Amino acid sequence: MSPSRRFGTSLASQLLRTPLPPSTTRTAFGRHCYHSYDHPPAVAVSYGSTEQAILSAAYTHVPQHGFSQRALALGAEDAGYPTISASVLPDGAFSLIRYHLVTRREELSGKTKTIFGEKNLGAQQLSTAARVEQLTWERLLGNKDVVHRWQEALAIMAQPSYMPSSLKELSLLADDIWFLAGDTSVDPSWYTKRASLATIYASSELFMTTDKSEGFFETRDFLRRRLEEVKQMGSVVGSVSQWLGFTANAGINVLRNKGLRI
Amino acid sequence: MAAPRALGSARGLRALSRPVFQLQSQSPSPSFPSPSLSRCFSGSVPCLHDANAPSPSDRASSAGAAGNKTTHFGYETVLESEKENRVAGVFHSVAESYDRMNDLMSFGWHRVWKDHFVASLAPGLSTSNPGQPQRILDVAGGTGDIAFRLVSAAHAASPNPKLHVTVSDINSSMLSVGRDRSLALPASHQACLSFLEANAERLPPQVQDNSLDLYTVVFGIRNFTNPLAALREAHRVLKPGGVFACLEFSKADKHPLFNYVYKRWSFGAIPLIGQLVAGDRDSYQYLVESIERFPSQEQFRDMILEAGFEVSGDGYEDLTGGVAAIHKGVKPLA
Repeated sequence: MSPSRRFGTSLASQLLRTPLPPSTTRTAFGRHCYHSYDHPPAVAVSYGSTEQAILSAAYTHVPQHGFSQRALALGAEDAGYPTISASVLPDGAFSLIRYHLVTRREELSGKTKTIFGEKNLGAQQLSTAARVEQLTWERLLGNKDVVHRWQEALAIMAQPSYMPSSLKELSLLADDIWFLAGDTSVDPSWYTKRASLATIYASSELFMTTDKSEGFFETRDFLRRRLEEVKQMGSVVGSVSQWLGFTANAGINVLRNKGLRI
Repeated sequence: MAAPRALGSARGLRALSRPVFQLQSQSPSPSFPSPSLSRCFSGSVPCLHDANAPSPSDRASSAGAAGNKTTHFGYETVLESEKENRVAGVFHSVAESYDRMNDLMSFGWHRVWKDHFVASLAPGLSTSNPGQPQRILDVAGGTGDIAFRLVSAAHAASPNPKLHVTVSDINSSMLSVGRDRSLALPASHQACLSFLEANAERLPPQVQDNSLDLYTVVFGIRNFTNPLAALREAHRVLKPGGVFACLEFSKADKHPLFNYVYKRWSFGAIPLIGQLVAGDRDSYQYLVESIERFPSQEQFRDMILEAGFEVSGDGYEDLTGGVAAIHKGVKPLA
């Protein structure tokens, strides 16, 4: 059959020759990822009314039932919805975890005044580092009620599909803490500060899940030690780079003295 | 091949009908499919077509009535009154091979999507024993894929779920495939199922207002003549707090390179597989064109909002980079 031969050879070419629809590429960057006084973000609506109702009701069941679909279902019923309503939340149990992360983080900016309020009026101003420690500690205390469920939550957050939004929340938290502490750096340390604080926060949080001490004072010490290390590390890095810069500069000057055109 | 065949190819029908429909509005891509391809294949393979579909002369006369609204059928523009019959023709002819074709076209991946979709809905989950009864309507669920998964997920969640799933489809061929397949299920699962032949844009009176907990439509709403009407109908029949959930092909524009490969596959290979396996190129050509014509994630989300639902977060979840997407909405309480 001659048509069949022609048919066979045309398979591959057909795959490549079929015209494609005009594809549209989207490059939309919604909002910037830093705090700006000149361009404050549009009023962030974190949750719609239905999700807010279900999530806030479900959150009260977390200490007993963990970050689970069951807690969500109970929450939906408490809020007057049918059980199935909870399934409208796109990520199931992770929605509840993110609710915890977002609400605790947003709470922080409201608390800033009560933490620093009186002291600011007085003569002695807290250093930025001390404010960072204070705020980080305050955020860690936000995990107090659910800390016995937090290892489960960390396991869910570490799942590949949830990792990106978990990390994003962590970076937002680090950014918020530095911002609220009044840090105004615009040099590369902007990044290193946030990266180191995010690491310290995550490790302190993990430490806290196994901390049985009164008022989590061991976690507080752990946090202090880590921040101190970073400070020392920072000063070591600063000294070394200063020394390297001086030596390089001097070396170049010596070479210029020798007649090299640099 | 139980589906009745009509004389002449569907392409022939298109050729006859296109000039008439172009009077109504511009066809977005009149050059599609390319002439060389149709020369290659149109002669060698007889195309299946539903005998109930109107003949070309019927169409010409019905198109002559002025003021009729048009919609799209793949890349063609057809009368709204026409689309239902044409879609019926497609699904009558693919009913038998539907599930096999899905496996071939998506490398079996559609099963992963559907499993994820059903798992994310947690059907039959109850906080007390015995729990509240749940009523589910699976629209365009002809072959029972989703309904069977919903029932078995509910049985896995609790030993004796109070759950009823109605499988609804406009197409009797698809529905009878589902009915046959359901006979292989355990009796406890079969007891939770019923079948209903209905148009999702005008659900029959036995589906009452505010009566459903969950409304699912999987790979179906793309084929509706008027998706917004179906969304409004879903809003009407759902209880306050009831959930609308839709799994549908969507746009992978966010990943240009992947999108290119995917489009190559869908426009190059899928009609070809359809021709080789199901002996029906045109139906699968329609399939990929209709995927292209379906609104983007954001547009469809806005349609869901327009129908009166509330969404959570972005309102959709991309699967496999956006090749498919899950949209969910909840009917507000007040």
